[in-house]
Amino acid sequence: MKTLKKIVSVAVALALIATAVLALASCGEAKKVKIGVIVADATGSEALSFRNYYKEYIEQNYAVEFLYSDALTDAEAEKAAIENFITSGCKAIISLASADRPAQIEQCEKAGVYYAVASGVLNDDEYAKYKDYKYYVGAIGPSLDVEYQTGYEMAKAQIAQGKTKFAIYGAGVGYRIDMHVQRTAGMLAALCEDESTTYGGVSIPGAIIGSLYTDGEVSLSKFQSSKYELVGYHALWNFGDATWQANLASVVAAEPEVILCAGTGLSVFGQAVSGTNVKICDIDSFTSDYATAMQNGTVTYLAGKYASSIGPIFAAVLDAVNGHAVKTEAGEALALGQSYWVATSYAQFEKFQSADSVANPIFNKTLLDTVVGDSISYGTFKTFVETDRTPA
Amino acid sequence: MDKVKTNEKFSKRQKLISLTPIIGLVILLILYVVIGIIKDINFKAGFEAIVNQSVILAIVATGAIFIFTLGSFDISLGASTLVSACAGGLVYNATGSVALMLLTCVAASLAASLVSSVLGSIFNLPVFVTTVAMMSVLSAVSEMLITGKGGNQIRISGLSGLENIWVKLIFLVIFTAICVFVFEFTKVGRRQKALGGNPVCAKLTGISVKTYAILAFIMAGVGIGLGGFLTAVRASTITSGTASDIGMNIFIAIVFGGMPISGGPRSRIYAAIIGSFSIRILSQILTMLLAAVPGANGIAQIVRAIFFLAMVYLASMNYRTKMLPR
Repeated sequence: MKTLKKIVSVAVALALIATAVLALASCGEAKKVKIGVIVADATGSEALSFRNYYKEYIEQNYAVEFLYSDALTDAEAEKAAIENFITSGCKAIISLASADRPAQIEQCEKAGVYYAVASGVLNDDEYAKYKDYKYYVGAIGPSLDVEYQTGYEMAKAQIAQGKTKFAIYGAGVGYRIDMHVQRTAGMLAALCEDESTTYGGVSIPGAIIGSLYTDGEVSLSKFQSSKYELVGYHALWNFGDATWQANLASVVAAEPEVILCAGTGLSVFGQAVSGTNVKICDIDSFTSDYATAMQNGTVTYLAGKYASSIGPIFAAVLDAVNGHAVKTEAGEALALGQSYWVATSYAQFEKFQSADSVANPIFNKTLLDTVVGDSISYGTFKTFVETDRTPA
Repeated sequence: MDKVKTNEKFSKRQKLISLTPIIGLVILLILYVVIGIIKDINFKAGFEAIVNQSVILAIVATGAIFIFTLGSFDISLGASTLVSACAGGLVYNATGSVALMLLTCVAASLAASLVSSVLGSIFNLPVFVTTVAMMSVLSAVSEMLITGKGGNQIRISGLSGLENIWVKLIFLVIFTAICVFVFEFTKVGRRQKALGGNPVCAKLTGISVKTYAILAFIMAGVGIGLGGFLTAVRASTITSGTASDIGMNIFIAIVFGGMPISGGPRSRIYAAIIGSFSIRILSQILTMLLAAVPGANGIAQIVRAIFFLAMVYLASMNYRTKMLPR
């Protein structure tokens, strides 16, 4: 009994001391603005490059602290993460997770916490609904038109090289994630420009987009062509699911010349295509993983974001938290577009990658400071975001 | 004389150990408040978050106590909750009726639970084995329900009015009251404890293992149904990942709550509630302390694992005696 009491007493005392030390250690720090970042992917190369920019560059240059969520796989997890951030005293949430954005916006509005979408946009219906919300800062990222065009140009570039045997990885089409639907529709539309090719009997972009939203997938049987072959389709990120893994293997086994990926293609197919002639065309980020993949020829086409492209949304959030939210002339939330950089060779990739590093990002403090303040107009902010910063 | 002293010591130790989960919950609450003050957290939002994140787990775990009491284990609880939420969501989208949605959630989970227990009875298999098979079946069913209309999710809108802590607490209180009544004040609870404590002896006294296994699964099914309903209301978008962690969390919660993993007469219905709230408060504390630390989630998981092992060790101390445990 005495031994037990001792064990319990020592354990409780140690726990109290440890937590007190940890808690007090953070007491001396200056008051920083806490910003929560919710992510669907915590370990992917794009996610890590974004995180490094915020944690290692922005935190060093502004009085802010970023709190990151764990990888969030469903709407309930997103909700819990936002609850935890609100509890922790976050003044704003930046979202890189999109299982249920409307629910996220509603939750933040109710809690009086600013909310912004990084590296993406809302669709038209959602924007119309939320643009007047007090705490909705806005979205900065590739617009849905840009997403469509990016998928279209990727497929066109492969067609121009004489490729005829394709597979498609739709990423979040199954979740009807707008950007993935638009990119995939762009790919199909590019193939359907051939007069013998149709998808679901049509070749009109609008009809293809509608079909993808309805089906939540690319149906191989709907693809009809005497010129091109669509030999496989895969989607989502169910790495632990045997059926999903089997389909992934079957796509590679069908030996397409190219897998057109609507995002995260390297993470999904990188290992599977190793040692084959199957190439990956992807839409992702300029990160070290892609550097290796482009160098060894696994990835031959990359439309990518760069790490500091999420700088402008941080500036918009900081302005909002400081009480000077940037709004359109009509007083609505931001909805501004950014474009991708496209690399088709390793040399080009290297040039882009070196142009944006954590130590010297494109959106550095000097540049960001031009839009952080109490009298930033919408026009100034729009020009700041939409200026083409592709390295010459 | 020595024997009397040994008995007294054992009794005192038992009392202290049986109070450990409650003492642990109180200590965690104190830590939460102290660290929260230092960290300047939003306590109102914090307590709401704890309730929001605990209640669904507590309800499903409370129902599952009936299964654990038998010394058995249901590995399909998460999959069953997902099927229940999917079925309820589809019915609500089709009819707009909350009542029908709730009934469907409960009916779906009851059906799943009954299949598990009846299969176990027919083939004379341990119910744990049938729940392993049911987990695969239920995953396939949920996949079919989710993808049935194309896409990989079921969106439910119009239920935000029900997404508040009071609704959740009402569900928890009513269901817990029913479970406490059945478990503590009827022969069902007493016989289930007897079966979990010593199945051979219980059988010899005429208690039917099959009957009480089925009854246990019925109670668990009701809890899963209510949990599925609240999950659908809370998530509003159901995917194959919804409720995926609930099965393992239930096991951790009831151990945190002081439930003996072997079931039997020391089973306590309140273990699920204490455990569910304890692990959520612990998670909140770790979130506060580790929020800005790289690899925070991994560290938090290790800390939870240590707490889990400590609780199992403390519970096992009850048996470290010359006396027979049962």
